[in-house]
Amino acid sequence: MIKMIPDGSPSQRARSFAGHSVKATPDGQQYWQVDHSQYGAVTEVPMSKMALVSAGNLQASIQLIPSVTHGDKASVDLLEQFRKGLKGEMQARGVKLSVLAFLVKALAKALQEMPKFNTSLSADGQTLIQKHYVHIGIAVDTDYGLVVPVIRNADQKGIVAIAEEINVLALAAKAKRLKAEQMGGASMSITSLGNIGGTYFTPIVNPPEVAILGVTPMVTEPVWNGTEFLPELRLPLDLSYDHRVINGADAARFTRQICKYLTEPQRLMV
Amino acid sequence: MKTELLVIGSGPGGYAAAFRAADLGLNVVLVDKRDSIGGVCLNEGCIPSKALLHVAEVIREAKHASELGITFSEPEIDLDKVRAHKDSLVGKLTGGLGGIARRRKVTVHQGEARFTGPNSVSVEGETIDFDHVIIAVGSTPVSLPNWPVDARIWDSTRALELPEIPKRLTIVGAGIIGLEMATLYAALGSKVTLVELADTMLPDADAESAKVLHKAMVQQGCEFHFGTAVVDIETSSAGIRLTTSKDTTIEADIVISAVGRRSNAGKVNIEAAGLTLSRGDIIDVDAQSRTTVKHIFAIGDVTGMPMLAHRATHQGKIAAEVIAGHKVQLDTKLIPSVAYTSPEFAWIGFSVEAAKAAGYQAKSSSFPWLASGRNLASGGQDGLTKLVYDEPTGRILGGSLVGKNAGELLAEVTLAIEMGATLEDLALTIHAHPTLSETIAFAAERALGSLTDL
Repeated sequence: MIKMIPDGSPSQRARSFAGHSVKATPDGQQYWQVDHSQYGAVTEVPMSKMALVSAGNLQASIQLIPSVTHGDKASVDLLEQFRKGLKGEMQARGVKLSVLAFLVKALAKALQEMPKFNTSLSADGQTLIQKHYVHIGIAVDTDYGLVVPVIRNADQKGIVAIAEEINVLALAAKAKRLKAEQMGGASMSITSLGNIGGTYFTPIVNPPEVAILGVTPMVTEPVWNGTEFLPELRLPLDLSYDHRVINGADAARFTRQICKYLTEPQRLMV
Repeated sequence: MKTELLVIGSGPGGYAAAFRAADLGLNVVLVDKRDSIGGVCLNEGCIPSKALLHVAEVIREAKHASELGITFSEPEIDLDKVRAHKDSLVGKLTGGLGGIARRRKVTVHQGEARFTGPNSVSVEGETIDFDHVIIAVGSTPVSLPNWPVDARIWDSTRALELPEIPKRLTIVGAGIIGLEMATLYAALGSKVTLVELADTMLPDADAESAKVLHKAMVQQGCEFHFGTAVVDIETSSAGIRLTTSKDTTIEADIVISAVGRRSNAGKVNIEAAGLTLSRGDIIDVDAQSRTTVKHIFAIGDVTGMPMLAHRATHQGKIAAEVIAGHKVQLDTKLIPSVAYTSPEFAWIGFSVEAAKAAGYQAKSSSFPWLASGRNLASGGQDGLTKLVYDEPTGRILGGSLVGKNAGELLAEVTLAIEMGATLEDLALTIHAHPTLSETIAFAAERALGSLTDL
């Protein structure tokens, strides 16, 4: 047959001649093209829609954001004393006053003081968009995947109100009843493994935010006070940030600020 | 003088190659025997012929206007002024190209280049050494053997100089150039006779569409002798007498020879570069326009048929990119053809017969322009839009249009074929109403059985 009618569009043909792949399939697919059943029994479970959505976000995050994780620890003896002291009272009011509520408040205050963390880059990377609101996203682990509901205007809310809202949002998330307006638009997000375990981890930034704060369970550690080791309750914090926007010194100052609020919780009131 | 890239010939292929190469950072020298850039296309081909054909169209439209209720008096043709208009247009365009060359820092050198070795040419005694060369020296009209030399026997170049308006004009060759010359001189008032060896005009084009053009040209007063050769030509003070293979004679005041063009590759001493020419002085090249000698490229008419400016331009850009280290090639055989006759005739890709011969289950679908509101409203006459498609897949394989602006409309069909479009793609694309472009969608709808305009 005389080859008069070409295959594919002119640009596709040019790219394929130049040695580029012209298929729209993602690169590196070959790594997953494995027949696992040759090694033993397997079953196939399709990824849920929700999982596919968050997979896309996570992939974008790791590929597009040059991120660094900075670790710090806050002394939280006072905070825990204060929180436990209020426990009975709060239970009577039907509120579960968690460390997370204090952390949300501390983060909100730190964001007000260091607004650089409350920004997003424009799509072309040419402009930094400063947000004049403080919304905190909370990553919630559910049976169907990871979702991030948002506490709006956390800077204007009291700790008890925040604690109540966390409970409402977490329950809604687990029941798959989150509304669209309860997600998105966060200043920063918190991802907490505090009630599960671990020592530290490297969370990845939830785009288009510029940082995320990870938390692992508090531990009692021996701390040298100059003359002796004394037990101290400490909360590990892991801050991952977009290095295009934030430098390491900013990150260290930012986590120090959060630690200060957690160490001296009375500061959260002023 | 020493340069990274030498381009010989500044026609549409040569200047495109030179400018593209300069944009890609190469140091470029462009040599041409003319004192202006643009080659045959700008100086004595495509552009001047279109300037004159526009004049012809104006004359024709003025004549038709009487049917619309507007009557002009007989036109007075001031040949000097027509010529001056054409020359100023050519001057404007070639001058513009000169400016573009200066902005790109392309060195333009006037003179005829001849190879003195694989890496050097001599231009009027000066030697230019180069790393790469692109041969783009084009073609010239073929003159028939055994024909006398006579000022009344013109080639297309001479005809476009518009020396006079002959009473009786005979054109030998009814290809695109012959037909365009007939269109021009018929409008200016000549009695035109065309003699063609083949049995039809434009044998490569769709026969049904060609018939529409044939009919229109006969109405304009052109007389056609197909399947006819000129066996003898006699010149006398009374005129020129042609004797044909059918034992008839044709008397003419002027004869235009439009029997084709021949590559100029034989004129640059190409053997010195280590190249040999194929039959008809053609240089063989691959899809990257590279010759058998690695650093020597050839583009345009010197590489053979079809000898068309737009083919040369694409080859030129590709050659420049290859020389600049890009991995590219000319990956299409789809080269549009347009005859700027009245009506225009344009075609691309396969005819039904050729598609069948190539193994497709080809069919065609057409839409007559007498059913197009836009065509009739703007004074258009008969015309035809025809699509050739593969029946099982609906894929568009070719198309031809005859009618006003057919050359402009052809681009849609060309793009459709390049993009692998089907009849449905054309039919489902909304075309503005009333336009001539609708006829393409209508032809597609007709094949699909969804046409409501016929």
